Parts: sequence; structure tokens; C-alpha cells
Amino acid sequence: MPRPLSGFLAVLAAGGWLAAAWYLWQTSVPTGLDLPDLEPSRFFSRATLEEADDYGLVLDVLAVGAAAALVAVLAVYAAKGAAFARESAAGRIGTGMLLGMLGLGLVWLFQIGFGVAQLWWQRRHGLSRQGYVEWLLGDWWALGAEFLFVCLALVIVMGLAGPLGDRWWLAAAPAFVGLTLLFAFLLPYLLAEATARPDPQLAADARRVAATQGVEKVPLRVQEVSGHTSLPNAYAAGLGPSRKVVLWDTLLDDRFSDEEVLVVVAHEYGHHAQQHIWKLAGWFALFAFPGTAIVALATRRRGGMRRPEAVPLGLFLVVVLQLLAQPVSNEFSRRLEAEADWRALEATRDPEAAAGLFEEFTRLALEDPEPPGWAYFFQATHPSVMERIAMAEAWRARREGRSRAG
Amino acid sequence: MEPEQHPIRLVVADDLRRSRLTVLFRLLLSLPHLVWLWLWTLVVLLAAVVAWIAALFAGRLPDPFHRFLSAYVRYGTHVAAYLSLAANPFPGFVGRPGSFPVDLEVAEPERQNRWSIFFRPILGIPALLLAAAFSGGNGGGGGGGAIGTSAFLGWFASLVRGRMPGGLRGLLAYSIRYVAQTYGYLLLLTSRYPDAHPAAPVLERPLDHPIRLEAREDLRRSRLTVLFRLLLYLPHLVWLLLWGIAAFLAAIANWFAALVRGRPAPPLHRFLAAYVRYLTHTSAFVYLVANPFPGFTGRPGTYPVELLIAEPERQNRWVTGFRLLLALPAILLLSALNAAFGISAALAWFHSLVLGRTRPGLLGLGAYSLRYAGQVYAYLLLLTVRYPHSAPPA
Repeated sequence: MPRPLSGFLAVLAAGGWLAAAWYLWQTSVPTGLDLPDLEPSRFFSRATLEEADDYGLVLDVLAVGAAAALVAVLAVYAAKGAAFARESAAGRIGTGMLLGMLGLGLVWLFQIGFGVAQLWWQRRHGLSRQGYVEWLLGDWWALGAEFLFVCLALVIVMGLAGPLGDRWWLAAAPAFVGLTLLFAFLLPYLLAEATARPDPQLAADARRVAATQGVEKVPLRVQEVSGHTSLPNAYAAGLGPSRKVVLWDTLLDDRFSDEEVLVVVAHEYGHHAQQHIWKLAGWFALFAFPGTAIVALATRRRGGMRRPEAVPLGLFLVVVLQLLAQPVSNEFSRRLEAEADWRALEATRDPEAAAGLFEEFTRLALEDPEPPGWAYFFQATHPSVMERIAMAEAWRARREGRSRAG
Repeated sequence: MEPEQHPIRLVVADDLRRSRLTVLFRLLLSLPHLVWLWLWTLVVLLAAVVAWIAALFAGRLPDPFHRFLSAYVRYGTHVAAYLSLAANPFPGFVGRPGSFPVDLEVAEPERQNRWSIFFRPILGIPALLLAAAFSGGNGGGGGGGAIGTSAFLGWFASLVRGRMPGGLRGLLAYSIRYVAQTYGYLLLLTSRYPDAHPAAPVLERPLDHPIRLEAREDLRRSRLTVLFRLLLYLPHLVWLLLWGIAAFLAAIANWFAALVRGRPAPPLHRFLAAYVRYLTHTSAFVYLVANPFPGFTGRPGTYPVELLIAEPERQNRWVTGFRLLLALPAILLLSALNAAFGISAALAWFHSLVLGRTRPGLLGLGAYSLRYAGQVYAYLLLLTVRYPHSAPPA
């Protein structure tokens, strides 16, 4: 390809990438919304703040340790892992699959200690009811799912790298995006066994807040998790006809008021109303293209991803790129969560319930209301509790301002 | 794969002929022996404790105990062989050596390591688990284990033909030998661990079966792949399920083709042969009979444990028509053998994880089970008209 033309295409691609990123970055939260600077001590006792602080700090340190172990193990594996090819009688793709699975297996082995420590810490604070053996077995089977996932990814990459050489990423990135969308679509069906219908009153309330956001056809389900954990949670899943909002039953054990539960429901419907799962898939696509291109480029010295010997290095690169992209992805996620909070406030028009709910997150789940900057930057996928309370206050101030103006 | 001779050996001098009348009443005829064996067992339980203490002091099993316990194990072998139809005549009640066609030879007492004597009840647990799988005790699965299932099938065959099928008798002899060696080991008759290798006793010349198994004796195992063996098998399991759907449809088509043409269709034969070969490769991998990660195509010559499948042959249409029904006894036997295979794989897992290699006996049992499984699947899928041969390899 002539140099000017390839340069033009590169500029065009970069421009398209930036335009897409800008588009995805936009939310319906009013620009210039003035979030008040709130003091946590106004809402929480000193003891609660200290406990949440201690609890969060240990989890943050464990998360950093686990990430460091992940990178260290995969770095060593990238250098030495190709030797495990001798344990395979399969062809190049099969051997690549073995090397990919062994890499994940080693990571699992070296991260067990962090997982056990995290579980111990959660049990100590009454936030987990899971036994150690139960956790280990569950983690073992979760590793099995990861094995299958990495095999599928390697079948795609190595299968395409055969005929396409170093340009495999041009076809692999769309394939991964397609798979992400497929998985997002199928997830509610995969979870169907684990969920049940809510009680009629909650279902009726949910339909009402869903209707205000134009997603009244999306059903609400309740997932039983209280045997394992006391942590409250909910999520929006699915695309198009498979869309669902799922509440953990830990939200319905009378620790939260009906109004607070309704804020959670409205928040999750807000995700669906604002097409957040599509946006997340779009965000993933933005990173999938350059990410796979970097892997293709960096593994060329080992014969490219066509060769199984390049798989350990490829695995290492994927993890490092994910870690590097994490702060930006976290900020993107926080923006979507803030938008869902805003939609929930608009739907319920109940900032007291919203603020109460967020306060309970600290009291019951020991969520640090103002986490340290580094932890917020690298790990937080949601706005901090204080930011969320501040948004509820801002919404109230805005409503009161309008009333006065009216 | 020829193992060293074990101090406890099974000697088979049986001509396979069976008296239909005694076969018909075999269970009832065995009752006096079962009562007597039970009484003898009570005494042996006490004697074993005294013998254990005496052996700890002497560093060997004292001669009187050796004679008494040998006679007990031998008598138990005679009764098991009689009850399971591995032999025809009514046995005596004292376990005299050389008095029965399925007999046990026990070597003279030997010096034994005192630590090994002290920990014998614990060291014997893995062997006891495998013996239970053979005899249908706890973990036996498949109803009565390999012995019970073979006896059940052999009862019908002997009643109709007046003759015990050689394959069943071979499997019975192998299983009874292992159980006897286990009791011999636990009762301190020998310090040699029971040998699960199926190569002995040699009962008949090897059969020229169209489905054969070739297994390289490579005992080395990669600890890392052993640790994750079950999870590493998952992608193969998914592929097996997907391929299995196609194989099921192909088998139906092959059945019609064989019914019409009198022989399987070559393309379907190749497709199904590759599937059975792939099944063998992956089973060898997950059950630790082989070390390397197998490929996904079932291509011949690519794996250290290889199922050799002959070209398509003419097949009797009646046998083809009733193939599923005819295969039922073999499927029953396979499920019983698989219970022992599963236990042996679990034992091999621990052994390989600790030592980085598996035991020849466990490898031999695995190869034997895989060969029989391959023959059963090949028979079911019309890859051969020859019935699966259940006797261990000679």
C-alpha cells in the first residue's frame, strides 16, 4: 500500500476511534452539575468510618498483591512457558490451547493465597458465609470456565493467524466483539435457573419505575445468594429480548426499606434505558482492535500467534494491556454508573431514599465512603459512596431550585 | 510391560467347561462355604492383630501365622472363584494348595521393613479401594464390580452353553488375583504391593482382534498437567460432545448402510473410527494412562496410546440388526470395569502428582480398560463384527 494512503487510513482510523470514544463518553447527567463537597463524618459515625477504612484498605492491598502476582507469574511464564509444549501431542492450535490453559492454571495457583485471605477478611467482617472448601471448589470450576474461554479465544486467534499471518487481529477483534455481544445476550438465559420472580408488590413497583424509563418490558428477577454472602448487589443483564434486571435476595432481607430497594431497581433499569451494555461492548471494541494489533506485533519475534510458542507471551501481553487500560475503563464505568444513579433519581424522585441506600452500603457492606485516590483510580468501577450521596443532594437542590423558579 | 513375578500368584488350570446343574444352583451351593468363610474371617481378624504385633518384633511374619493366613487367603480365592464361576468344581474347606483349578501360590515368608509393617493398614488403603472396585464393595460401582458383573453374565452363558466364556474367566482371574494380593499384603504375607498390571496370569494365547490397543510404557507425568488434568480435559469434553452428536447420526446412517450392503460404508467407517480413536486418546489423557495433551482430530499415530482399528469388513445382517441388544452385556461389563479404572486413575493422580510418574500396574490396568472400551464402542458403532474380548492382555 502506498505510504500516503496508509498514513491517511491511519489518521482516519485514529479519528474514527476518537470520535467513537467521545460518543461513548457522553452521558445524560447534566453537564456542569455541581456536586456538593460533603464530609463523611456528617453521615457516618467515627467507628463506622474507621471500620470501612480498615476493611477497604486490606482488600485494596490484597487486590494489588493479586495483580502483582498475576503479572509476575505471567512474565516468568512468557519467558519459560513455551517449554510445556513438550507435554502436548496435539497440533499447533491444540498445543496453544494447552499452553494458554497452563498459564491460567499457574496464575490460579499463585493467587489462591490472596483469594483465601480475602475470604477470611470478608468472613471476619460477616460479609461472606462461604466455607473455605466450598470457595476453593467454586474457584476451581470457575477456573474451568476460564480454561474454556481461553481455548475459544485461542482457536479464533490461532485459527485466523494460520491463513492471515500477522493480520489475524483484523478479523479476530470483530470476532471477539461478536462473542462479547453473544455472551451478553445469552447471560440471562444461563442464569435463568438461579433466579426467581419477585413478590407481586415489588414486581408492580418495578414495572412502574421501568415504565418511567421506557423499559417496562424488561422483567425483574431475584437471585438467591444469601447462603454465600450478606453483600447487597443487583445487575442489569442481556440485550434486546433477553434483557433482565436481577436483584440479589440480600437486598430483600429487610435491611433496606422498600424505597431504597426501588432506587436500586430504578438504577438497574437506568442501565437498560441508557443502553449501557451496548456501550460497554462498544468500549470493549475500541480497545479490542489496538489491543489485538499490539499482541500481533509483539509476538512476531516468536513466529506470531500462529505458533503455540507465542501463546505464553500473548497471554502476558493481554493481561498487561488490560491492567494498563483499567484506569480509563474504570472511569468509563463510573460515568455509566453515575448516569444510572441519575436516571434512578429521575425515576423515583426520592433523593432521601437514594442517599439512605448509599449510606447503607457503607454501614452494611463496609464500602469506604471516600477510598484512597490510588484505589479509586485503579479499582473503583462505581462512584464513591460520598459522590453518590452528593449526586442525590445535587438532584434535590436542582429540584428545589426549579420549584423556586417555577 | 512384563511385570516381575509377584510372591502371591494365581494359577489357573481350568478348561472352561461348566456343569449346568451346579451353575444353576451355584449361589445356594456356595452357602456352606460362605458361612465357613465368615467364621474363618472372625478368627483371622484376631489372628491378624497378633500377627501384626509379632511381625513388628520379629521383622517377618512368623511361620505359623504365615501358614494360617495363607490358607485363609487361598480358601477365600477358591470360594470367590467357585461363586463367580471362574472355576467349576466344588472347593474343599481348608484352602489346601493345589487342590483347586483356580489356586493361589504364596511364597515363603520374607523379611519385611518394620515401618512398612507398622503402617500396613494405612498403606493398604489404595489397594483396598481398587480391590473393592473389582469385588463390588464400596466404590465398586457397576452393581457387583468386575467380579460380580462377570459372574452374573457368566451364569447365563454357562447355563446355556455349558461353558464359561474365556474373556469373562480371564477378567475374573485377573480381578480375583488382585483381591487376593491385596489381602495377602494387608495380612503381611508379603511386603510387595498388589500388582494391578493385567499381564498375568497368562491364560490363553492373544486373540487376533480387529480392534487392538498399543500403549507406549512411558511412566513420566508432568506434575503441572496432572494437577489440572480434569480442567485441561474440558475443551476435549466439549469437542467430544459436539463430535458425539455427529457420530450418533453417522452411526444410525452406518447401521442402515450395513443392513442394506452387508458391510459398513467406508466414509462413515473412517469418520466413526476417528471418533473412537479420539475418545481413546482423550480418555487416556484424563485417566492418566498417557501424559501428553491429545490433539482434536483422532488422527492415527499421533498419540502414545493408540487404538488400531481394522478396515471395514463384511458383517452378518442379523448381528447388525440386533447390535444394540447384543452389545448390552459388554456395556454392562464396561461400566463395571470403568469403576476400577476410575479408582486407578484417582490413585495415579496422587502418585503422579507426588512422584512425577505413574505406576506400571495402574498404567496396565488403564490400557486394558481402554482397549476393552475401544472394542465395545467399535462393536456398537459397527466398526467390527467381533465381540469385545474382556480378558486382560496376555
